[in-house]
Amino acid sequence: MDFKYILEARDVTYSYEKKEGSPKSLSEVSLGIRPGIRTVILGANGAGKSTLFYHFNGVFRPKSGEVLYRGIPLCYDKEVLYQLREDISVVVQNPDEQIFSSTVEEDVAFGPMNQNLHPSIVEGRIADSLFKVGMEDYRYRPTTQLSFGQKKRVAIAGALAMEPKVLILDEPTAGLDPQMSQEVMEMVDRLCLGGTTVVISTHDVDLAYAWADEIHVLRHGRLIFSGVPEDFFSDKESVALSGLALPHTFSVNRSLEGIRGLPEAPYPRTNSQLLAKLSPPEARFGRIMIRGIGDGTPVPEDDGLTRGIYGFRTRRMFRDNGCRADIYFNAVEGCCLSAMQGRDTVLFCDEELVDVIAGRIRSVSEFGRIPEVVL
Amino acid sequence: MARSEKAKPREKASGTSEHVQMDALAYSSRMLHWPPLGKLLLVIAVLIVNIMTESVITSLVVMALGLILMAYSTNMRIPFILGIFIAEAILILVIACGIISINGDTSQPCIWSADFLWMDFYMTADSFNEAWLVMIRAIAGITMMMAFATSTPIPHLAQALRQIRIPDEICEIIVLIYRYAFLLLERLDTMWSAASSRLGFTGFKHTMRTTASIAVGIFTSSMNLADKAQVSLECRGYRGYFPIWNRPKKTGIGWVAIAVVTFALLYILGIYTGGVIDFAGLAFGV
Repeated sequence: MDFKYILEARDVTYSYEKKEGSPKSLSEVSLGIRPGIRTVILGANGAGKSTLFYHFNGVFRPKSGEVLYRGIPLCYDKEVLYQLREDISVVVQNPDEQIFSSTVEEDVAFGPMNQNLHPSIVEGRIADSLFKVGMEDYRYRPTTQLSFGQKKRVAIAGALAMEPKVLILDEPTAGLDPQMSQEVMEMVDRLCLGGTTVVISTHDVDLAYAWADEIHVLRHGRLIFSGVPEDFFSDKESVALSGLALPHTFSVNRSLEGIRGLPEAPYPRTNSQLLAKLSPPEARFGRIMIRGIGDGTPVPEDDGLTRGIYGFRTRRMFRDNGCRADIYFNAVEGCCLSAMQGRDTVLFCDEELVDVIAGRIRSVSEFGRIPEVVL
Repeated sequence: MARSEKAKPREKASGTSEHVQMDALAYSSRMLHWPPLGKLLLVIAVLIVNIMTESVITSLVVMALGLILMAYSTNMRIPFILGIFIAEAILILVIACGIISINGDTSQPCIWSADFLWMDFYMTADSFNEAWLVMIRAIAGITMMMAFATSTPIPHLAQALRQIRIPDEICEIIVLIYRYAFLLLERLDTMWSAASSRLGFTGFKHTMRTTASIAVGIFTSSMNLADKAQVSLECRGYRGYFPIWNRPKKTGIGWVAIAVVTFALLYILGIYTGGVIDFAGLAFGV
């Protein structure tokens, strides 16, 4: 079937209280999530982000309006809802609310077991999803012994094990330290590259601005904006009224270009894009060498260059062999910045990602000079 | 700064209470993979025979069995805090047995007596022997139960209960209580520390008021948690029961035989060794 939006809300209104006239958590919200597009639902605390998510997988039923999946209005029949929740996985904000089982593998198996899958498939999914979140060593550990960050990863693994078509993450970086946040976002990034439609809710404007192709902004249960992030952040008043702030990169770009009297566009979203835009022509850049890591790839020798790692397999190889790495998190961006500071840098990544990453680095040229990319 | 992946610092586990330690002990037990129902049958059989017989020898054998199983299960590594709890339980038993021994039947010959304030202490050979029997029985029971507890995580116990046709609802509740008890304990801990830092425990009156407030807070938290857990369960395709992925081994006929044979042997031992050890004779020469 042909559809524009994989998920769509049409005039959705919802209230937690049954009484007429009670305050509405969502009020006539209409928005669409396009397949394969990185979407962020942005809003301050209490804006209605989580409530909207629970409408997408049929846990909440709108008081009025409708929700569509692949262009078809949701049917709230039990069996249909089970099927829907196999396709749309929601990872809740607090992992303690999501983890029920006593051991990590039991919890990851919970979703696939509910799908009545064959044990051999469940086994494969446990191993695969734990590997993706870097928790394979914790497989047999009691969940009560995990730290918050580890629980968060297990919660994501539990959702991944269901192999959803749409993954909805409610505040995926809330409560995580910066490194863990980067790690989670890299994981999410990797899922997007694998073809999963990922929707994130957050009030972290920097994260939303750097990551999203499209944002939807909620304020007091109402949708006030849908579109590309730059358009929203250009309207200072709306940003302030929504209880949000301008992203750091956006502000710096605006201020610097104001000082230099140049147009704001193109809008850099990351530090490397900003640096590319601001770098003088005489700046000396290092090179970025991208090396693919496959199953049979020998352990890379240490040549003394700055090294970044990206991808599940690469991360595992470096960890298992005790290899040196300088840039662990957000390595594509980190390696770009390193090369822009004049250092030759090697970016090790999973074999199948080499072209995608090279393309991503080269796309920075839209903003100005970039380091030479060597494959 | 360069560093290897192996050097990445490990995060601290969030829960460190004695409950968590117990849980960790069970999951690392060498008896973890023994069928839980088999272990349960064996422990119940031994506990029953321990109470049924009047022989101290049987209780001593049960205690030895419990200690051996516990040592094997934990690989001789009982956490300090658990050791303290066991010692505390034994101390309470000693006091209780002391009370039994000094409340002897006054129609029987006295082996020791004393007056203290308004209390008359009267110890007979029977009361003395009875106190020892009760204490050894109780300690034996503790060791057997500890051997079971340190080797059987609650989900395995729930699985064992399912096998003996305990209704699913009860087993699910056991698993859920087990899971959420830790969360509520963590919350209690946080609330307790927060109250302490705001001088909530200065003096009896404040302590009572703070404790009551915390109890109410925990109750409302549990309701809140239940609501949220329900939503999370639905998000993960919950269909009304908790499927178990890693099923523990099923109990074969061998385990039933072991339980029956152990019961029979201990019972026979009890019959032939009743009264063999006379503690009153050993202590007082009577």
